Formats: sequence, structure tokens, C-alpha cells
Amino acid sequence: MIVLEYILLAGLVVCAVAAPLCKRLLTTVIVYMAFSLLMAVLWSLLQTPDLAITEAAVGAGITSILFFLTLKKIHALKGTRDE
Amino acid sequence: MLETILQNRFAVTAVILFGIGFMNLLLQQNLLKKVVGFNIMDSAVFLLLASLGYIDGGVAPIVGDRGFDPLYINPIPSGLVLTGIVVSVSITAFSLALIQRIYRRYGTIELWELLERAGKEDD
Amino acid sequence: MNKTPSKQSWWLRLVEWVDGDREPKDQTLFVMEQRPPRHVQRSDAEFATQDKHRLHRFRRWYPVCAVLICLALMGILMAAVLTMPTFGEADNPINNEVAEHYLEYGLEETGSANVVTAMILSYRGFDTLGESCVLFLAVAAVMMLLLRDEKNTDEHDQQKQEREDGILAAHPDLILRRAAWVLVPFVFLFALYVLLNGEVSPGGGFSGGTILGAGLILYSAAYGPKQMRVLMDARRYAAVRTFGLVLYVLLYGIYIFLGANQMPNYLTGMTLLIDLAVGLVVACTVYGFYVLFSRGEF
Repeated sequence: MIVLEYILLAGLVVCAVAAPLCKRLLTTVIVYMAFSLLMAVLWSLLQTPDLAITEAAVGAGITSILFFLTLKKIHALKGTRDE
Repeated sequence: MLETILQNRFAVTAVILFGIGFMNLLLQQNLLKKVVGFNIMDSAVFLLLASLGYIDGGVAPIVGDRGFDPLYINPIPSGLVLTGIVVSVSITAFSLALIQRIYRRYGTIELWELLERAGKEDD
Repeated sequence: MNKTPSKQSWWLRLVEWVDGDREPKDQTLFVMEQRPPRHVQRSDAEFATQDKHRLHRFRRWYPVCAVLICLALMGILMAAVLTMPTFGEADNPINNEVAEHYLEYGLEETGSANVVTAMILSYRGFDTLGESCVLFLAVAAVMMLLLRDEKNTDEHDQQKQEREDGILAAHPDLILRRAAWVLVPFVFLFALYVLLNGEVSPGGGFSGGTILGAGLILYSAAYGPKQMRVLMDARRYAAVRTFGLVLYVLLYGIYIFLGANQMPNYLTGMTLLIDLAVGLVVACTVYGFYVLFSRGEF
């Protein structure tokens, strides 16, 4: 169990470092999504299932949807640049 | 020293994540990446708070007749973090809406470029 | 006699300052940016080079300062963390009598087995009330920024939106529709389960509301805004959103006057209703964000 904790914590740090270093904004958002999911697993390891459900729904779901919609609006996705 | 770090691993990770997020917030030129950095800072604070309430061998604070009396973790930090997570979404949504408006007005979300264009319009 | 004009002029000056007409004459009140006087008008080129130089210097020093500040902050925090009580010990100072009280009497006093739900909806309901207001205001603020109305849109935007709508209507995404047709009922069912079981299992207003909002988002994304308008148009959305908040205020008001403060508690089932109100607020918030971000209109 404690090994899993270390792996997850290391994964959090790796994701946090990697997310803003990605060149494409889409990759940044997806890595941030992975960060949120790791966080959700950590919440359930910390015995707070309420937080795990909320984080999984909010961090990986809603926040990412909002980021994707913003990416579409600022023409950072392929095929959304209008001439 | 190393033992303390390993014992307080959640708090140490929270501090590292906070530093990474803060550094991104200050140094990134892209406004969207600044928002991601801000979210990482949020998560770091939540991680620190929630790890404070954990007790080794404790179970989730759902009381009931289980026939024995288990050790429960502290419910107060979980409650506080639950509110915090939902508020952090609304902050993210608001900043993303601002970014959309900025893009519509100036056509860029890179900070220096944005400042230059704004300065040109002022003159 | 003497007082009125001075007061009025003070007021006028403040009004002018707020309107941004000109700087206040009384520089002691607000020390603002001093512009160089008109007669030493520099040439444009000189001004530009000076400006560029300043910006250049700022750009060079800003990252260094930022990194230094970050490292200092992290050092301080790390030093604080290393002196913190050991992680996971039962007799840490945070596990005091408040938590013990919640765990011991929570079920009895609020009728909710999940102590986290009992805490956020009953013991600390005012906190949650403030948070519901924050969510409500967040939707209002995003609406101000992104709602598509006469002032906020132009011809180009309008045409683009119509073109996209036309494409969407002509080529519906079959996979998404089929998947949504299967998934949406289960998503709603799960959301209701989490909402209604918030008292006895993990979940409750916040998580259930978010899942409910996610279901609405899936439905809206799959079937398009026209179908969605049948279910929820702008007026109905505003009504539901306000209704959720008002319901929360009413229920918590009744609850706190009848049940709390050492008085006998007749309303043990009340947490469930408050839970539903919070779920409604959160679901509306989440769905509202999606709609405003994707189309800007309901």
C-alpha cells in the first residue's frame, strides 16, 4: 500500500512538471486530466471517498470539458482555425 | 531528516506541487498554462489539508452499526476540501471565460504579445 | 454654509476620479502616476526606445526574481512541513474534541451516517450557503462575459455559429448519439443514487450534483441545443438555478431555527432535502458553465 502511495505521489509531481512544459495546449490539458485522476486515487487511499468521487467528476470531467471548449474557442485545436 | 520526509510524504509533496504551480503561475507566458499552474496550486493545498486529517488504520467516516468500533479518520478536513474543490472549478471557469474574452479582443493569449498589442492600442 | 460647497466639491472630485475624467487635484488623497508635463514633449522615437529598454530590463529581471521568490517560499514551507506532527498519528493536535463530537453524535443529531455530509450540510451549513452563493455568482460572472446577446456579438460570430449549427444538423454524430442513448439514463440514475444516498454512503450534494450536470452535458452534446431547449431553455434554467439557492436558504433557515442550538431536533430527515437543494445548485452551475462556454446561449 505504501509503495502505491509513493508511486502515486511521484506521478503527481511528474504530471505537474510535465503539464505546462508540453508544447501543444491540448497535451497540457490532457496531462492535467491525468493529474486529476491520480489525485482521485490518492483521495480514496486517504480514506475520503467523498473527495474521490467529487474530484473524479469535477477535475477529470468538468474542468477538462471547460478547458477543451476554451481551446476550441481560441483556435488551439486542429481544424478550428477559421480563415 | 530522511525519515521525517518519508513520514510526512504528503505534506512534502504538497509543498513541491505548490512550488511547481506557483512557478508556472509566475513564469509561463501562456495564460492557459497559468490557469493550469493555478489549478495545480489548488490541488496542492487540498492534498495538504486532507492528509492532515488522515489517521493510520482509520476508515472513512461513515458511522453505523458494524458490530465493532473502528477508528475513523477526521471528517473536518474532508468537508473543507469538498467545498474547496467545487469552488476551484468556478474559479477555473471564470478565468477561462476571461481568457476567451481576451482572445476575442486581442487575438492572442501570450502575455508579452498581449501587452504589446494592448500598449499599441492605447497610443 | 461654508461646509456645503467644500463637501460638494469633494464629492464632485471623487465622482470625477471614479469616472476617470481626470486626476484629483488634491494629490495627497490619491498619489497617482505622475505624467511628465506637456512642454517637454519627447520625440516618438526617443520615447519608443526608452520604453523598449525598460520593457527589456523588466523581462530580463522578472524570471530571476520570480524563481528567487518561489525558492524562498518553498524553503519556508518545507521548513514548516518538516516540523509538523507526524503524518497519520491519532493524537495529532488536529484530531481534537470537535471531530470526536461529530463522529460520536453526528448520526444521532443529524440523522446522517456519513459524517462528512452531516458536517457540511448541518453543522457547518452556513459555510455551504456561502459556497452556493459563490457558485451562483460564478455563473452570473461567466454569463456576463460570455452570454451571446445583441451587445456581445457581431455579424461574423453570428454567421459562424449558424454555419456550425447547419453542419451539426446535417451530419449528426451517430456514435455519440447511440452512446448517449445508452449512457444518459444510467448517468442520471447514478447521479440520483449518489444524491439520495449522500447520507449513508459517500457522495451527497456536491458529487451528485456534478454527475447530474455531467449527464445534462452529455445529453446536450449528443442531441444538440434544439433538443436541449425542449428540456431546459434560458428561462427555465434561470428559474431552476434560483429555485435551488432559495430552497437551500429556506430549508437551512427552518432547520437551524427548529433543530439546532441545543434544541430538540425533530427534523432528522432534513439533511436529505438540503442535500437535494445543494445538488440542484451544483448541477445548474456545471451545466451553465458548459452551455455558456460552448455556445453562449441556452
